[in-house]
Amino acid sequence: MLALAGLSYRYAGAPRPSLIDIDLQIGDGEVVGLVGPNEAGKSTVCLVASGLAPRAIRGTLSGTLTIDGEDVVDWPMHQLIGRVGIAFQNPRTQLSGVAATVYEEVCFGLMNLGVPRDEVVARAGEALELLRIGDLVERDPNLLSGGQMQLVALAGLLALRPAHLVLDEPTAQLDPEGTRLVAGALRDLAAAGTALLIAEHKADMLDGLCDRVVVLDAGRITIEGPAGAVLADPRLADLGVEPPSRVRLARALEARGLDPTVVALGAGAGGPA
Amino acid sequence: MIIGGVVGPVILTILVVFLPAAGARVVRRLVMTSLTFSLPLALSALIVNVFFFPGGTTVLLTIGPIRATAEGLAFAVEILARVAAISGAITLFYLTTRPGDVVVDLERRGVSSRVAFVVNATVQTVPAMVTRGQTIVDAQRSRGLDTQGGVWQRIRGIVPIVGPVILGSIAEVEERTMALEARGFTRPGRRTLLWWPADRPAEQVVRWLLVLAVPGAIAARAAGLL
Amino acid sequence: MTERGVELAVEGLGHVYPDGTRALDDVSLVIPPGARLAIVGQNGSGKTTLVRHLNGLLRPTEGRVLIDGRDIAGERVAALARRVGLVFQDPDRQIFSGRVRTEVAFGPRNLGLRDASLDEAVATALEAVGLAGEADTNPYDLGFSRRKLLALASVLAMGTPAVVLDEPTTGQDAMGVARVQAIVAQLAAAGRTVIAISHDMRFVAEAFERVVVMRAGRVVLDGSPTEVFAEPNWPALASTYLEPPLAARVGAAAGLGSTPSESSLVDALAARA
Repeated sequence: MLALAGLSYRYAGAPRPSLIDIDLQIGDGEVVGLVGPNEAGKSTVCLVASGLAPRAIRGTLSGTLTIDGEDVVDWPMHQLIGRVGIAFQNPRTQLSGVAATVYEEVCFGLMNLGVPRDEVVARAGEALELLRIGDLVERDPNLLSGGQMQLVALAGLLALRPAHLVLDEPTAQLDPEGTRLVAGALRDLAAAGTALLIAEHKADMLDGLCDRVVVLDAGRITIEGPAGAVLADPRLADLGVEPPSRVRLARALEARGLDPTVVALGAGAGGPA
Repeated sequence: MIIGGVVGPVILTILVVFLPAAGARVVRRLVMTSLTFSLPLALSALIVNVFFFPGGTTVLLTIGPIRATAEGLAFAVEILARVAAISGAITLFYLTTRPGDVVVDLERRGVSSRVAFVVNATVQTVPAMVTRGQTIVDAQRSRGLDTQGGVWQRIRGIVPIVGPVILGSIAEVEERTMALEARGFTRPGRRTLLWWPADRPAEQVVRWLLVLAVPGAIAARAAGLL
Repeated sequence: MTERGVELAVEGLGHVYPDGTRALDDVSLVIPPGARLAIVGQNGSGKTTLVRHLNGLLRPTEGRVLIDGRDIAGERVAALARRVGLVFQDPDRQIFSGRVRTEVAFGPRNLGLRDASLDEAVATALEAVGLAGEADTNPYDLGFSRRKLLALASVLAMGTPAVVLDEPTTGQDAMGVARVQAIVAQLAAAGRTVIAISHDMRFVAEAFERVVVMRAGRVVLDGSPTEVFAEPNWPALASTYLEPPLAARVGAAAGLGSTPSESSLVDALAARA
């Protein structure tokens, strides 16, 4: 269980806090979606939840971050990464830049932690299999597609076996193929029991994936609840958050006095298998 | 005497440069590459010494006020032989060694992981920067930047091209730093190495022999033996 | 600055890259003035290669590129930039000024605009993308979505009769997408040709009157969204990893024929009710 309690965060040199009094829990195996307009603080939540703020990104943190009940305020970064991993939207900048092959890339984190060689090999193998990218091991990571690169980045994080994974708009810079690859991988991870916190704009993706959705606006949580209900909440539109296609279509039909349930017919029809 | 002059460097070049190059099958590339980069130096050494060697008396050729002398030519050839040996050796190293291997080996022997990282990362960054640079040029040309105009045009084009390269790289640094931290880069201490180049006994022997040959040759020269 | 539209055409266009890869194979298209065309297809299908021929960045290895019936073979890119504006996908590959205003002024200045007409072109473009209040801001103080809009403004300010957009909605939030859609409509209303490469099928169905689907360097489908997203074409779309918009899927499942855009679906349902 990863928990933020009464958490506020102000970046160094910033006039105002970016997060105000955040209470957020992600239980084991839970998938939580985080939505909100740009500049609402979604990235800050991700940085704080992973510990990068304030360790790598300087600022003042008040409130607590606990992992399985333990306050982690004094934990150095390399201790945290075995419990919570963080993935970003740009697949390219997450590459270490020193790995000649995907295999080396996936081993990078384990090598940095000084894990014994045999264990590095074993855990890298597990991560590659979990994300089904074993066929990419010999490839040059710089030459992969965006979606593939993101999967390699995820594999590198998963090799560290964190129980929680935080993702800051993981598909924002990917094409539909890449988005599908990553969304599928996240589904597999959720099924395998990894807890996920996903900040995203693509409501369609969150619609099928999340148990709960949290709405962030100007640094505060404004709406929280089961994914289906929150994503259909009319207040989202005012916040500049695009609802899932099915919700938008249903609303357009209702506005014309037509029966919105016909939208359900479109689920699963068409598109690649 | 037998090792100085021209003969010495030539023998050295054959033994230490060409034979190993033949073994690594890079002779042709070796010749092409080392010729290319040592040509300016070689040409200038040749010209300067052939025509302006002090104390040259045996004149071979006269062009206006300057004269080419046989002594100058002999000296120039000596210099060229040495240039050939040095450039051949450097090129051989460059052609037969992968930077990654060198860095891993250094790391195994105790060089800091951070240093190793910087070297490796630089090597990988360059191709990415080149493609990035090309896209930037294309984007600015599409906005009317004339890259085929006169000198002044091209000078005005520097900032719109170099600017995004630098700004973009800086903007990336923060993202890359966070990603590295998220992968334990800042953990103090040694990191696990998956592999390193084998250091066979034969290689060690040859290496030590070569290293000891340097002070040995200097001593022999000083003692007047060579 | 804004002239009447131009007709763009490619005849038997083929392109083989220096390393031997064939990116385009016998592509022929005529794009009338004021058209709104979307080019879709997976990465590697030749979309980007195709549009780069329109302003001379790439030259054909076979075939010709024509503007208003004249071959552009001898013309320089800087000269063609007067007639065809190209907005690149990554704004950070072009931004170099310290202020939004000067960044936008770069293009029109290269085309010879000065003083009052330059200021006007810049102001109009900033207004169109919603950055009028940020004219003196440093571009890197804007978030990624707004930098994309800045890049778009910098080409709009050039007043070219044809504008090509490379993935204008990737990385954009909901508000950004809405703005891009509005701009496409505005440009077309002014008689300017708009060509966009996109992965967002909903954006394509809503904002464009013609869709060209590419695969492996060839055009596989060419028609209106209603034609292209009709059910018989779904297998062809699937083979290029494209999914018809939800509205199309609902319409087909409800037996309403092809309704790729929300408004067409709503209208069709209303007509049946």
